[in-house]
Amino acid sequence: MHLYKTIKTFLFDKEYFVNVFDSHIHLYGFLQVLSLQEEEASLRFPEFLLQIKGQDFRVLKLTKNELLIQGKISEMKFL
Amino acid sequence: MKKSYALVKVDCSNKERFLKSCQKNKLDIYDTKSKDREWIIKINEEDLPKLKRIWYVEYEVVGYTGFHQVKKQLKKNRVFLICAFIGILFLFFLSHLVLSVEVIHSSSDIRNLVLNALEEKGIKKYSFQKSYQELEQIKKEILDAYENRLEWMEIENSGMKVKVRVEERKLQEETKKKESCHLIAKKDGMIKSISYTAGEALVKRNDYVKKGDILVSGIIHKEDEEKGVVCAKGEVLAEVWYQASLTLPMTYKEKIRTGKKRWNMKIKNNAINDFLFKSRIENFEEESKPLLKILNTQILFVTQYEIEEEEKKYTEEEAMEKVLQMIDEKFATILNEKEEILSKKVLKKEENNGIMNVEVFVSVKEEISMTQEFQRIKGDENGDAF
Repeated sequence: MHLYKTIKTFLFDKEYFVNVFDSHIHLYGFLQVLSLQEEEASLRFPEFLLQIKGQDFRVLKLTKNELLIQGKISEMKFL
Repeated sequence: MKKSYALVKVDCSNKERFLKSCQKNKLDIYDTKSKDREWIIKINEEDLPKLKRIWYVEYEVVGYTGFHQVKKQLKKNRVFLICAFIGILFLFFLSHLVLSVEVIHSSSDIRNLVLNALEEKGIKKYSFQKSYQELEQIKKEILDAYENRLEWMEIENSGMKVKVRVEERKLQEETKKKESCHLIAKKDGMIKSISYTAGEALVKRNDYVKKGDILVSGIIHKEDEEKGVVCAKGEVLAEVWYQASLTLPMTYKEKIRTGKKRWNMKIKNNAINDFLFKSRIENFEEESKPLLKILNTQILFVTQYEIEEEEKKYTEEEAMEKVLQMIDEKFATILNEKEEILSKKVLKKEENNGIMNVEVFVSVKEEISMTQEFQRIKGDENGDAF
């Protein structure tokens, strides 16, 4: 378990990050989910507000500070 | 590590609200599948009570994955698993059990000796089979213990039976006793080949000998002077003649398969050898394949081929061929590798009431020598007095 924690700390050493893939978006360290619909998602991060637009959004994972969405992403805005 | 997940069917119209509530209640979602209003979500089994706090959704647990699922499947199939486990144990037990010990030897003394020795070493009926290394060790110990009686031994686990092949040690006493002997002819014949390792040959190739004639003498001469007496050893092959009378019925029944076949099962052991189902064909030939073997009982899969018997008659040529074939078969059982049929000649043949009587002259090359002891009497140089 000690090894697992060490690896996790090494991989998640940032306060927050946003990883965008072809059909997925991985968000870590957000504070609050403002909206989560099939075509739009808004999340509050410590320093900005993220707005994602697209189609057929599907939540694959949702935990306290981690979100993985599958879908076609067309637009991202940092407000 | 024993993490298990629950698959929950959630009925909610506002998914966004539900997801926000999940996050607020620290309820982690690992996968989702949606179908209209219904949603199947994958959550930690421990988080199920948290779902109750979200009052506006109706939910139903539809399944589990992970450790809980494995546990549930094991519990559901426990009777089968226990039976399978007991079955495997029983099979292991049976496959390592000795039901009989068979010593392969013609002498009952040797058989009893080996059986007693094996019993002392723990190889007996209803005992457990020994490993290869243990068998080798036991074999060595028995051979050491009975070195004057046993020449060679092999112990083999064959199914639930222990097979022991053993060779008796024959001491040279018998040979030692025979200090003076001749090789004499046991049949009339013409010498074809002669080879000897001890003694002095009195006949040569193409010599005609009669029964009782000395072939290889045990008395050794050197320049007409007797030098010593030995037990003559050797091999003398001679042409020997036989006159054989055979009768052959001119008609015979030939079995012809009609092409119709049926399947059946057969149970076979020491006491029973019978079909499991009623045979649907009256006259048949069968071919069987082993299907299952439990202890001494075998279950066989049998194919029955319907046959019809057709009466046929030999032509004269076929009858002669058959007679000569019968002679070959008869001699094949009594001749060894070095011996052979040299020629066959039909002397007389006559057909009477559907039976062929044939007289055949057969010339055979065979071993004709046999050992005969003699005792020397003073003044008898030929050693003819026995």
